[in-house]
Amino acid sequence: MSELRPQNAFMDRFDLEPKVQRVWDVPHATWFTLMGVGGGLFLLSRLLGVTLDLGRVLGLPLVDLLSFLAIAIGGLILIADLGKPFRFWRAVLNVRTSWISWGAISDAVFLVCGGVLVIPDLEITGARPFGSLPWDAEASTAWGRALEIVAGAAAVVVMFYAGAVLAKPRAIPYWHSAAIPLQFLLSAASLSMATIMLLAVLNGAEVTDAELWWFVAFGVATLATVLIHLSSSRERPGKRESLERLLRGRYRAAFLGGVLLSGSLVPLVLALIALGVDGVRDIAGVVLFVLGVPAAFILRLLTLRVGIFPPVRDVLGGAATVTAATR
Amino acid sequence: MTRWAMAIDTARCVGCQACTIACKTENETPGDVWYAPVVEYEVGEFPNARMEFLPMLCNQCEDAPCIKACPTNALSRRPDGIVMYDQDDCCGSRACMNACPYGALHITFGAEGESLRDGGRTEATVPDKGSARRHQRGTIQKCTFCAHRIDSGLERGLVPGIDIEATPACVVTCPAECRIFGDLEDPTSPVSTYLQEHGPAQVLRADAETGAHVLYVD
Repeated sequence: MSELRPQNAFMDRFDLEPKVQRVWDVPHATWFTLMGVGGGLFLLSRLLGVTLDLGRVLGLPLVDLLSFLAIAIGGLILIADLGKPFRFWRAVLNVRTSWISWGAISDAVFLVCGGVLVIPDLEITGARPFGSLPWDAEASTAWGRALEIVAGAAAVVVMFYAGAVLAKPRAIPYWHSAAIPLQFLLSAASLSMATIMLLAVLNGAEVTDAELWWFVAFGVATLATVLIHLSSSRERPGKRESLERLLRGRYRAAFLGGVLLSGSLVPLVLALIALGVDGVRDIAGVVLFVLGVPAAFILRLLTLRVGIFPPVRDVLGGAATVTAATR
Repeated sequence: MTRWAMAIDTARCVGCQACTIACKTENETPGDVWYAPVVEYEVGEFPNARMEFLPMLCNQCEDAPCIKACPTNALSRRPDGIVMYDQDDCCGSRACMNACPYGALHITFGAEGESLRDGGRTEATVPDKGSARRHQRGTIQKCTFCAHRIDSGLERGLVPGIDIEATPACVVTCPAECRIFGDLEDPTSPVSTYLQEHGPAQVLRADAETGAHVLYVD
């Protein structure tokens, strides 16, 4: 088998050459990014206890509103991209094995529980129509605490599941790795921290040491998972071609420049400088967000675009054999 | 328990694409959808170069990744091992397409109901063509081992793999008889006896561990 050259003009998918997946692209990368940052904003702002310091709109915490908005827009983008958008509700039906189903349920649970949690704080012309409910957006009562825990748990799944959707099947070796959902989760956490710091700056609140340290921790962890993923199973059919496309092919500049350099290394250095120099914290808060948004999007988009099916025939020769007698 | 399977002897295939066309005619798929293509490729170098052929189709996997990935349960596996699809249940997420290592899932965004079938033929006028239904835009479709032929044949007491009317169209059409169909659990079925005589067989993308039921003999 010294040379394999497909001849059929009409063949797009079944082939003897590596094939790039083309069914998911920009809408899915946008969806992944918005879901990640949406879940992260709610979760991290509450874990750090800064939700109410980041501004309010109509009495509702701004950071929570942005979180709901990101997830709602992400969901709508995904629904619009479905072949049959009005059947979106069916996506919750296969919880046994489909991460999309888990994600769709988590999105819904998050939006409902998160929305119900903050609704008592809604203030319209000085009145609080839901103010009599036995909880508040701060989750200071048992009811509120329960809603916050459920919404927070759903937010973790929302941040994680897009990567799991890619990582579970074995068809595309670059995706079939625990590093992909980890990358998505950590990168989402990193961008969420940057957004929280931006909101702090915009609302005149202080960018705290804790926020910067968490940003550094998430950034380092993201970078580590990316590098580990790039350096493992490099010669595996399919992944080899993905790495070639990512590191030496058409996406080299976008990945090395947009994700690793300006999306990871520069923000980490800037955050470390901001930890030592008080005067630059406000600028850092803005710059980390500005660099973080394209980096998170490009990471996800390039992950999709280097998703490559290895040739079906490549592994035929050395494959485990199956005979009638052994089945 | 029945396990429908297909053996493909690539040494016998002459690359005529009769199976490709028979499948398309039988299933009346939209213009850009081909369930059973034959990949042609060159092996070796001049003066020892030659053409080889790899007939392909859905592998009807035991552990089908498409079924696991589908969020709407539009894909399911029958007790006889055939992976079926229901276009009425599909939301068009295309998760199955990225989960399948063989590229066996297809989606079309052509006109609603587009197919090669035309002229007002319906299931009523072509009763043996269970698949002769409208192809829904934006939903997936795939090879089902011509399940409609198998089912209607079994109802009439025919034996799939032996009786033409109960056997997948690609198998029936192949002039080189490189496709052999039957029940893998029945040691006397055509596929079992062929594999016993000409095995061992191999599966495509064994690394994907799908438990494919399309077995290749070189």
